[in-house]
Amino acid sequence: MADDSRHTDRPEEEVPGGRTTRREILRKAGAGSLLVVYGGATAKTSAAAVPQFRGRQLKETLRIVQWSHFVPAYDKWFDNVYVKRWGQANDTEVLVDHINVTDIPARAAAEVAAQSGHDLFFFLSPPAAYEDQVIDHKDIVQQVSKKRGKMKDLAHKATYNPRTKKYFAFSDNYVPDPANYRTDLWGEIGLKPTSWDIVLKAAPKLRAMGNPIGIGMSNELDSNMAMMAMMMCFGSFIQNKDQRVVLNSKETVAVLKFARELYRQGMSNEIFAWTPASNNQAFLAGRLSLAMNAISITRSAELLNPELAAKIELLPIPKGPRGQLGLEHVMGAYVIWKFAKNKRMAKKFLVDLETKYIGAFENSKFYNFPSWPASVSNIKRRLERDPAKPAGKYTILGEIADKHTLNPGWPGYSNAAIDEIFNTFLIPQMFAEVAQDKRTPEDAARAYDRKFREIFQKWRNQKKL
Amino acid sequence: MPLRRRDNLLNWLVVGPFAIVLAFPFYWMLQTSLKSELDLYNTENVPFSFGEGSPTLDNYRFLFSDTQYAQWLLNTVLVGLAVVAITLVVSMPAGYALARLSGRWGQSLGVGLFLVYLVPPTLLFLPLSRVIAEVGLQDRLASLILVYPGFTIPFATWLLMGFFKSIPRELEEAALVDGASRLRALIRIVFPISLPGILTVVIFTFSLCVNEFVYAIAFITRSDSKVVSTGIYTELIRGDVFYWGALMAATLIPSIPLALLYNTFLDRFIAGFTGGAFR
Repeated sequence: MADDSRHTDRPEEEVPGGRTTRREILRKAGAGSLLVVYGGATAKTSAAAVPQFRGRQLKETLRIVQWSHFVPAYDKWFDNVYVKRWGQANDTEVLVDHINVTDIPARAAAEVAAQSGHDLFFFLSPPAAYEDQVIDHKDIVQQVSKKRGKMKDLAHKATYNPRTKKYFAFSDNYVPDPANYRTDLWGEIGLKPTSWDIVLKAAPKLRAMGNPIGIGMSNELDSNMAMMAMMMCFGSFIQNKDQRVVLNSKETVAVLKFARELYRQGMSNEIFAWTPASNNQAFLAGRLSLAMNAISITRSAELLNPELAAKIELLPIPKGPRGQLGLEHVMGAYVIWKFAKNKRMAKKFLVDLETKYIGAFENSKFYNFPSWPASVSNIKRRLERDPAKPAGKYTILGEIADKHTLNPGWPGYSNAAIDEIFNTFLIPQMFAEVAQDKRTPEDAARAYDRKFREIFQKWRNQKKL
Repeated sequence: MPLRRRDNLLNWLVVGPFAIVLAFPFYWMLQTSLKSELDLYNTENVPFSFGEGSPTLDNYRFLFSDTQYAQWLLNTVLVGLAVVAITLVVSMPAGYALARLSGRWGQSLGVGLFLVYLVPPTLLFLPLSRVIAEVGLQDRLASLILVYPGFTIPFATWLLMGFFKSIPRELEEAALVDGASRLRALIRIVFPISLPGILTVVIFTFSLCVNEFVYAIAFITRSDSKVVSTGIYTELIRGDVFYWGALMAATLIPSIPLALLYNTFLDRFIAGFTGGAFR
């Protein structure tokens, strides 16, 4: 008891040299925190009070949220140049927020739950599941079409629901998905990845050289796109054009067998833990010989390692038994929520953005292709003029965009069931299970066909299919 | 071999590997943050050596000149301090009440309170989004200051409850006999003795705030209102391109003061988690 009392009544520790004691630090910190609570908690942010256009009160406000573009220059151009000019011309203060691509679903769910948020919400895949929460974007599509002609079929199929006759999103761009390959490595074995058969033939040799093929089979975007595109090249589809599930087919079994062989002969087990960054990192580290990816690989290499960049070339998706049917890598799709506060200016913003898309196309370094091709004049010449080595490297993107880029769910629409299958990564899961011998190809095709039918039926019951 | 030297050697053999394993992430962060982008992808130089263009402070320069990192740090500190203050104000009397005044219900209530802490934010962020919108706090730091105590207070109360229980009742009774009110006894006797427990709550609450991600990403999208955990994630990961050097620099900077804080109060922190100094 005496000891306890002495402990509690212990005087402040005297520190030689007049240094502050622990207690003093805590006391001061406590006082500081109270100041913070009082002064900091209620302020939106200090920057929020700074007027965007000095000396002039803008009449309206428009709030946009979109991904942090992989080309930082695009965000700088969009936030600091385009949006400011548009805002001044339209007497509107435009506030742009950026989020990580993987957080888009969580943020969208939060805004819908709150029935409050941004006037324009940007998705990177067609968000059919949110159809009931968004306005019909038909009049925006019509206004742009009036000025710029026909919309790309893939953009139409990705944003339109034929059952409800509603545009549930507005696509401003899509991103072609080429094959990226190392010319030096493929040159050594005297081959070029123009068909999946050649890829399989080259795979063991490339892996023996220490440079495997890198096509993911995990729960992430790149794996989704690559596997779905590979399926289409073999004539395997999730649905037909009447939106009926047709997965369980001999073509699906064939593509599953092919992917299993490709993994066994020419890839490493890293592909089961693939992330969106894996293609880029492994390519930049000089490890991969082939990946299916948008141009971020080559653009990053141009900045970091020009010598390596000069050895990377682009090709359309390799040809399969049923053709070269590729997918967009990502699809830019803006939505205007029903609860958006400034629908009028949101619509005008989209019309203006799309009808003059040259700035977006150029500043994204040809990542964003316009959903209305006429919105960017002379695309081919612009691609040819790119200074990257080898000369004309990006010219092929025009051909890929025109001939080898389709919407998820092709030959049908990118409906809510496709959206769910896409966002739950069921396709790469199916491939991974077969590659890891957890299921036979036949068994996997049957099992996933059943799953997909349940998903389609769920959305059919909700009258969205 | 003398007994003491043998004990020392044994200690080093046990502690040494742990120390290396625990320190390695910090070393990795530091080394990566000092590497040039080109060197980062040179696998021959991973993890122990530097190559072309390294070491460099470019990643730190980028962080402070091309992003709003300083603002995110400030926001994190603001939120952390505010939540610590709220948590202490609520959980200290609550923990005391549960320890002393609630009788046989105290224990059950304490366990119930702790169970609230276990409800994951991934379940709560959707309904809470509605609440935040209703009270008009979207994109404000105040939204986090409002929500974070929801998980810090239950844990802090539960922790302090255990700590207060370890303080002999006789101390308070002596104060009451001497004419002090219960509040005065609490402030003058119980709280000063409980400093290790309170420090534990401060450090733990602050760490929880710095680490929290789901609410921060769901409630705040404005770049200048972000906290460190979401700011670096959204601005230094662009699509499939990761700015690893800047990411590591950005995570290393806040981890240093936290590590120093833990070390400075390590003895009291241990005492706080193990139930007080009276055992």
